[in-house]
Amino acid sequence: MIELLLQALFSGLLVGGVYALVALGLAISFGAMRIINLAHGELVLLAAYCAYVVEARAGLDPYLAIPLALVVVTLVCTAVFLMIDRIRDHRELNSLILTFGVGIVLTNAILLVFASDVRTTSSPVLQDATVLEPIYAMNGELIAFALSLVLMVALWWWLRKSWYGRAVRAVSSNRAAATLMGISPVRTELTAFLVAGALASFAGVALFTMSVVQPALGHALTVKAFIVTVLAGVGSIPGVFLAAILLGITEALTVTLASSALQELVGMVLFLLVLFLLPNGLFGARARRG
Amino acid sequence: MTPLTPTALPRGGAASRAALPGKAALAAGLLVLALLPVMTGASNYMLGLLISALILAGIALAWALLGNLGGMVSFGHAAFFGVGGYASALLSGKLDLPVLLTVPAGGLIAAAASLAMLPALRLSGPYFALAILAYAQIFRILATEASWLTGGGAGLQGIPGLPSVFGLDLASRTGSYLLLVAIVTLCALAYAAVRRSPVGLALRAIAESEDATRVVGVNSILLKSMMLLLSAFIAGVFGALNAHIIGFLEPEYAFSGIWSLMPIIAAIFGGYRTVIGPIGGAVIIYLFDQVVAKGLIAVGHQIILGIVLVVMVLAAPNGLLGLIRAKGDRDAAA
Repeated sequence: MIELLLQALFSGLLVGGVYALVALGLAISFGAMRIINLAHGELVLLAAYCAYVVEARAGLDPYLAIPLALVVVTLVCTAVFLMIDRIRDHRELNSLILTFGVGIVLTNAILLVFASDVRTTSSPVLQDATVLEPIYAMNGELIAFALSLVLMVALWWWLRKSWYGRAVRAVSSNRAAATLMGISPVRTELTAFLVAGALASFAGVALFTMSVVQPALGHALTVKAFIVTVLAGVGSIPGVFLAAILLGITEALTVTLASSALQELVGMVLFLLVLFLLPNGLFGARARRG
Repeated sequence: MTPLTPTALPRGGAASRAALPGKAALAAGLLVLALLPVMTGASNYMLGLLISALILAGIALAWALLGNLGGMVSFGHAAFFGVGGYASALLSGKLDLPVLLTVPAGGLIAAAASLAMLPALRLSGPYFALAILAYAQIFRILATEASWLTGGGAGLQGIPGLPSVFGLDLASRTGSYLLLVAIVTLCALAYAAVRRSPVGLALRAIAESEDATRVVGVNSILLKSMMLLLSAFIAGVFGALNAHIIGFLEPEYAFSGIWSLMPIIAAIFGGYRTVIGPIGGAVIIYLFDQVVAKGLIAVGHQIILGIVLVVMVLAAPNGLLGLIRAKGDRDAAA
């Protein structure tokens, strides 16, 4: 029993790393634009299918798909950004509906091209398990977790130290004041949106190497990213990371102790409880009540 | 904070009074149009498509009611549709209650279920949308897990059909179609009445600026709660009607995201700030999806709907009706 629990904790931690990557992208674009991108999960999925193409059709290592994924996702992100930028009235609600529509288009485009089959890596190296008695992990999971840690530190550094990163934080905390300081809000929003897309690209490739993907997964990923963002509260990278790990571990424990059917339920209930009872999230500082 | 925009302001009282005869003519025209399939003896296949389109129209109307008068975008109306369907199916199937009673009861139970969403009314737009999305997922999982009640993943078979009333067999295609025309009309009238009432005006003001409206002393949470309950009730009634018409329910179907997704597309396409828009939008979009899009692309035909949604938000955020009206205003000005 103890071994099962340890295994659940460890697997949850590794899955949480990828949840964190997905959620960070969403949180960055939301922070800068105050607009929720409901197609974020589909962007992740798009990158995952880039990895599938590179591995299954070109016979290369799936991680070599990262440049391709970055190009594809950046193109789509730019198009989505230009569309959102054109919205004038009821910007918040209309952009929500717009990105929802983009999500439907992407899901069905993937369905059209790749059919509804479940895809995963066939790389023996990634699928091999590293055993650390009494627990084990797939190499793919370990690499994906390491990648997400590196990216999180990089993102943290970028937001703190680089000019653009600081501009993103400035726009996110006070758009008007940032504009007065000579920051172009539109260019900053685009930057944040593209960084979110880049994170989605890495997350998608990592997801493909450690788990299974299918066209309908995009929507579920967006929802997961939201659960994490809401749990974390707005405005902290370590917060998002911790919340993602918390969700991963809670899900893994639910599967071990109860049933896999309840796995989704736990996340949803946690989401609603935190949303209703702790409007600032577990780690956030800013109020979000309207 | 959305800025006030001229297009979104309620139209002037004098103008709407002057338009009344026009509206009566429009209503009469629509009624004739609605009865046309029965009078011309449309095939059972065509009536079946129209029945599904009207059920979608009902949920789209419920969605638009909340979106227009409550200013809240819902991504989870499947919850109310599913709860209404299951409630009515169980009440009539297990307790042998008459279907004519269990359909409104299904709506009431869906409205009761929406009470759990009241805390979400305090959340701002996007967070409400996501909360209700999660809420709908919870119902889907619960319906699968509570197999002692719902039959679990296998679902409910042999749900009692609609009865005969005054010699009209409501279970027949013609009967179901006429019943749905009547109920959709009833819901549209109720929506229009709420819209015109002081409550409706207050709600439209809330949709523009909740803070400003609160300052004037309007209890926005109470009014939004009323709209949520009404919207859930209507969606629940249509869920119940659908259950009795098709005679079969399973969680993946009754709580399918389709019931959340299609009303949004239909309402946006037709124009969700009006009463007629969601109904017309639902009928056009449903027939287009089933007849044209499915014919062109068998798997993934919803890609066309997604494109329609994106194009509408960009080119005509007030829907087809908004587009027609804007053209009318331009012509009048010229």
